Amino acid sequence: MKNPYSSIEAEVLKVTTETPSIKTFLLKPKEELTFKPGQFMEFSVPGSGEAPFTPSSDSQIKDTMEITIVKVGKVTDAIHELKPGDTVGLRGPLGKGYPLTKFIGQDILVIGGGVGLAPVRTLMYGLFHMRDQLSGLVYRGGCRNPEEFLYRKELEEWMKRDDIDMKLTVDQGDDSWDGPVGVVTTIMDDIDVNFERAKAIVCGPPIMMKFATFKLQELGVKDRNIYLSMEKNMSCGFGKCGHCRIGPYYCCKDGPVFTYDMIREYPGIWE
Amino acid sequence: MNFVLLNPLTNAFHLSISLPMLFIKRSNFDQLLKSLTGDYKVYVPRSMGNTTGYSLLGESDTNYEIGEIRSFDPLKSFYFLSREKVAEDFKPDIIRDDKPPCIVGAKACDLKGFRVLDFVFIDDECGDPTYMKAREKGLIISADCTGFGETCFCTAVDIDPWPQSDFDVNLSPVDDGFIVTTGSDKGLNLIESNKSLFIEATDTQIEFIQQNRSTVKSSVMKSAKALRIPVADRLRRVIKKQYDSNIWKDASEDCVECGACNTICPTCHCFLLYDQKSDGRLARFRIWDSCMLHDFARVAGGDNPRDRLWMRLRNRFDKKFNYFPEVLKEIGCTGCGRCIAACPGKIDIREVLARLEVT
Repeated sequence: MKNPYSSIEAEVLKVTTETPSIKTFLLKPKEELTFKPGQFMEFSVPGSGEAPFTPSSDSQIKDTMEITIVKVGKVTDAIHELKPGDTVGLRGPLGKGYPLTKFIGQDILVIGGGVGLAPVRTLMYGLFHMRDQLSGLVYRGGCRNPEEFLYRKELEEWMKRDDIDMKLTVDQGDDSWDGPVGVVTTIMDDIDVNFERAKAIVCGPPIMMKFATFKLQELGVKDRNIYLSMEKNMSCGFGKCGHCRIGPYYCCKDGPVFTYDMIREYPGIWE
Repeated sequence: MNFVLLNPLTNAFHLSISLPMLFIKRSNFDQLLKSLTGDYKVYVPRSMGNTTGYSLLGESDTNYEIGEIRSFDPLKSFYFLSREKVAEDFKPDIIRDDKPPCIVGAKACDLKGFRVLDFVFIDDECGDPTYMKAREKGLIISADCTGFGETCFCTAVDIDPWPQSDFDVNLSPVDDGFIVTTGSDKGLNLIESNKSLFIEATDTQIEFIQQNRSTVKSSVMKSAKALRIPVADRLRRVIKKQYDSNIWKDASEDCVECGACNTICPTCHCFLLYDQKSDGRLARFRIWDSCMLHDFARVAGGDNPRDRLWMRLRNRFDKKFNYFPEVLKEIGCTGCGRCIAACPGKIDIREVLARLEVT
């Protein structure tokens, strides 16, 4: 049997500074390592520890992956020190991804906030690959300020596409910003889809997910069609270590993507 | 006697084993254990004050005692070590490769503990390799309880104080030895290949062990009833009903957050992976963790879904009396009472359960 605790060796090929506290790492695993949008990896710096992250790159690219990481603690401090040529560990893919086949024929709403835009990027690539099978595609993204937007170039390219209804907002604007100002829920009123049947994907900080979920309910999206990307303390990543329990589920093994009807009754889901 | 058994590793029912009940003299049992030390790390209970604790059987070592009740230490310690290297560098190898454990004198509550841990750790897809190997290759020689400990409440969680499944060989202590029953092919083979050490048990001996079983069971039941512990099939309902009760705040007041209840619990399985670099090599350790500690569920950004101590106490009860019944159809508590004995704040799981019922 395989050892679920051992990592695969990977080389850092490129480090991109997205914002002062966010970097994207392009990694080349020494063995083939594929993943589906929504699945996550345990990323380790040898000797400094592991932490879970969802890749941000196109899952159809098989030989490399990108992971976008905010500096918030011990492991991410070590990750931010990494340079091209350094060796890191990857363990995964872990968890269940987005059920893309269930999205076929449906209107899809993607609501992303802050660094939640990283896993959303992977999902967006997936959705663009199957765009002709979707009946509609809406994207609403929000950040605290314009500088926080990740992947500016891609966002601008997506904005130009005519097969997506896309809007971005910031909590606080500046001179460079001529778009809407306000939290992401303030740019959701003009969405024109069949809410009864639409599938909504929400990914971002807990407070944003909470209010986006309530807004989606208000618009008529069914709880079973609201897909939330939950963030919990995860150590093993496969449902053994006990940290990430939500009611009868483990976030790592049964998620990290859950529909709202699965978890709405359990306490602490927004914390 | 016939037993229908559930093999923890294959989940397959198999009917074993028609054998007359056998008797083995203590001195012959000593010899049997000695012969096992070649293939197993044999752990035996030894007298420690008024309890027993496990340690490794040495050569020509007969200084052990099948305790009246469970040992003070949980048997998970020999299968799921408190700190164990689980990966090294980027090698896919499984690290632990020593003799499998043989546990002597495991009680019915201990075996229930294994059923819970088996559910957690045995898994074709991504099971814990060292736990699975120890369970598959290990040997369990269980034993009837012959007394009642003041923290015992197994009957309240639907366990009888004598093993009925999940063992290889079971011992029922009688004068100068044990009545032996087998519970697996492994146990049967062990007895068959050491036939000369056994003789057929007498009716008097069999009556004696039956009498003992019923005496011990009624003592435990009496105590559980006096403490007003909710009956087993009500426990889950009680926990769910009292989810928002003030009892949690109240009951956690004396908790000092030492995590002893988790450490000593035969079903607590939570752990943490911890990486270290020594001599330029990467080592990953699996270390027991405790859900009563503040940062157990805290995420890197600082959010903590169980920021308050009472929430963590409630979560501990929820895990044992709500989560496991939901996912495993079994209560995640063995009624061993180790957490009661270990708690420096004198928090008594039985009293908390009783309060939840009456409030």
